[in-house]
Amino acid sequence: MKTQSRRLCKLAMVSLLLGSMVIPVANAQKLKHEGEFIVDGMVFGLPKAKVFTEDYSGPPVVGEYLSALPHLQKLDYKGNKEHHVRMDVISQKVEIAPGVSYTAWTFGGSVPGPTLHVREGDRVVFTMKNRSDEAVVVTDPVKGGSPYFEQLQANPYQKNVPAITPMPHSMDFHSGTVAADDKWRSIAPGETIEFEWVANYPGVYMYHCGTASVLMHSAMGQYGAVVVSPKKGFSTDKKVDHEFVVVQSEFYLEKIGTEYVYDHTAAMARDASHVAFNGHVSALSKTPLRANAGDRVRLYVLNVGPSGTSSFHVIGAIFDRVWYEASPENEWRGMQTVLLGASNAAVIEFIVPEEGLYKLVDHEFADAERGAAGALIAGPRVKR
Amino acid sequence: MKKLASLAVLLCAASAWSEPVVIDGGAFQSPLVLDDEVVSLPVASFKLDAVQVSNRDFQKFVEKNPQWQRGNVPGIFSDHNYLRHWQSPLQAGEDINDLPVTRVSWYAARAYCESQGGRLPSKDEWEYVSQQIRQLDGISDKEYARHVFSWYSNPNSENLKAVGSGTASANGIHDLHGLVSEWVEDFQLLMTNGDDADLLTSSCGDTARFMANYDTASYATFFRYQSRSNYQPHTTTSTLGFRCAWSL
Repeated sequence: MKTQSRRLCKLAMVSLLLGSMVIPVANAQKLKHEGEFIVDGMVFGLPKAKVFTEDYSGPPVVGEYLSALPHLQKLDYKGNKEHHVRMDVISQKVEIAPGVSYTAWTFGGSVPGPTLHVREGDRVVFTMKNRSDEAVVVTDPVKGGSPYFEQLQANPYQKNVPAITPMPHSMDFHSGTVAADDKWRSIAPGETIEFEWVANYPGVYMYHCGTASVLMHSAMGQYGAVVVSPKKGFSTDKKVDHEFVVVQSEFYLEKIGTEYVYDHTAAMARDASHVAFNGHVSALSKTPLRANAGDRVRLYVLNVGPSGTSSFHVIGAIFDRVWYEASPENEWRGMQTVLLGASNAAVIEFIVPEEGLYKLVDHEFADAERGAAGALIAGPRVKR
Repeated sequence: MKKLASLAVLLCAASAWSEPVVIDGGAFQSPLVLDDEVVSLPVASFKLDAVQVSNRDFQKFVEKNPQWQRGNVPGIFSDHNYLRHWQSPLQAGEDINDLPVTRVSWYAARAYCESQGGRLPSKDEWEYVSQQIRQLDGISDKEYARHVFSWYSNPNSENLKAVGSGTASANGIHDLHGLVSEWVEDFQLLMTNGDDADLLTSSCGDTARFMANYDTASYATFFRYQSRSNYQPHTTTSTLGFRCAWSL
């Protein structure tokens, strides 16, 4: 009897609240936790991060919309969704140029880490365990893991081998609007952090480890891309034939004995030993991007640095449309190159002019010579 | 015969380490600027273990102190990886007896040193010894920085070497750098995410304010401070060990 009256009371309160407050129902649905609030339709004031220990030894990457480069998982749902995403920190020996392997600090086992795709307004519940003191294999089939693993295993150009390098780490999603001292805090090996963020703004964002030295942690490989597709899409969505994600980054390695290790002097001098698209100087030449003459190709291009800029160019093509920082509001037309500082990104579209080979380069040619080059091979025109 | 000889060598080597080394005090210019007014800090003479505490040493300790055996240590004093690599709660295992003990929390390291009538070295004492080694052994800044960064890049904790396997420095200290990272008493007193730490917590860059000299060698030292600062006192890892100190 008591419970029932309480329930009735609650109902009355809720209807009272709903009646008196002018929050549209759509917005009310966006709020999940006490303390959250809405400004300009966007959600802020998310709950505090949780740091704990867990007995977890499952797949280091979990989530349906996570892919290995250059893939982007399609959003096969309408409206907004809550994503449960895990990206554990693990160390891996990876190859970034022929014969050049180093022990990388990674999110999920590759450099760059998995690409996450969500829609503007989606909520991400993120979990990350610092497993840097554990040997984690990413090249065997993983039950319950994300599509990222199959793609990685189908094309293991980094030749990933588990490694152990215990180190504190953190996660900084540029796509999240939160208090960094809470959500982006460092966790020790063996600890897990869990927090939420809402994709308030569309864009192609980088994520990276923010633990000091942020230069070293980034240069060691702890970064990746989040694509937040705009709620209403881009004007050309229906015309696009191919979508690829390209992430540029630079490496600062020196050979000591038989090992390649991080060279801090070079990193401070911005004198990279290698610059790569998608984590290997041959990633986009061993497995080139493919399209046909007349196709509209969309590239989600992100430069993660850690310190270099990129003058992204496709030899033989003109960028029909460029959305700088991947916001539909920032539209440019007819661009030859797009200048991307460290952590800048753009959605770039071009029409493949004819059958042939199109080179993707950083037009700062010193960096193209160090590896920032790839290829798109175009077949003959297919009439649709 | 050969076996006997090598045993004798081992015993001699062991006895050379059994006595801690006296470190003469002096003025210490911290590589980290934590107080703009303080340029030089006095470090009093103290004694420091020549080598890290080994699994064998730590085994003796847990035999006498069951509360520090794996399975007995309360969760607040250690994470669940505490001595995970030991054969059993009371036995490290033949193959690892001489290796530096790792997977020990700061609490456990402190308790061990206390049981020896000592304590953990302070971070200033430890860094003072580190600077002394670089000076006495004529290690160039470049060599030092490369050594530190390459160890952090690839600490090789799966193929750890025995304590004292490196040549002693001119001050008698073995393997201060390059074998394992070491707990110090006040490891967490700076740049943590705690509310008493620096406002910008030195995450995401912003290191210039902390460094007396902005060169690669100082940066390597800074990196040690910073990485250790981000551990919790209950943290254990395969690269984290310790040695003890004694006040004179």
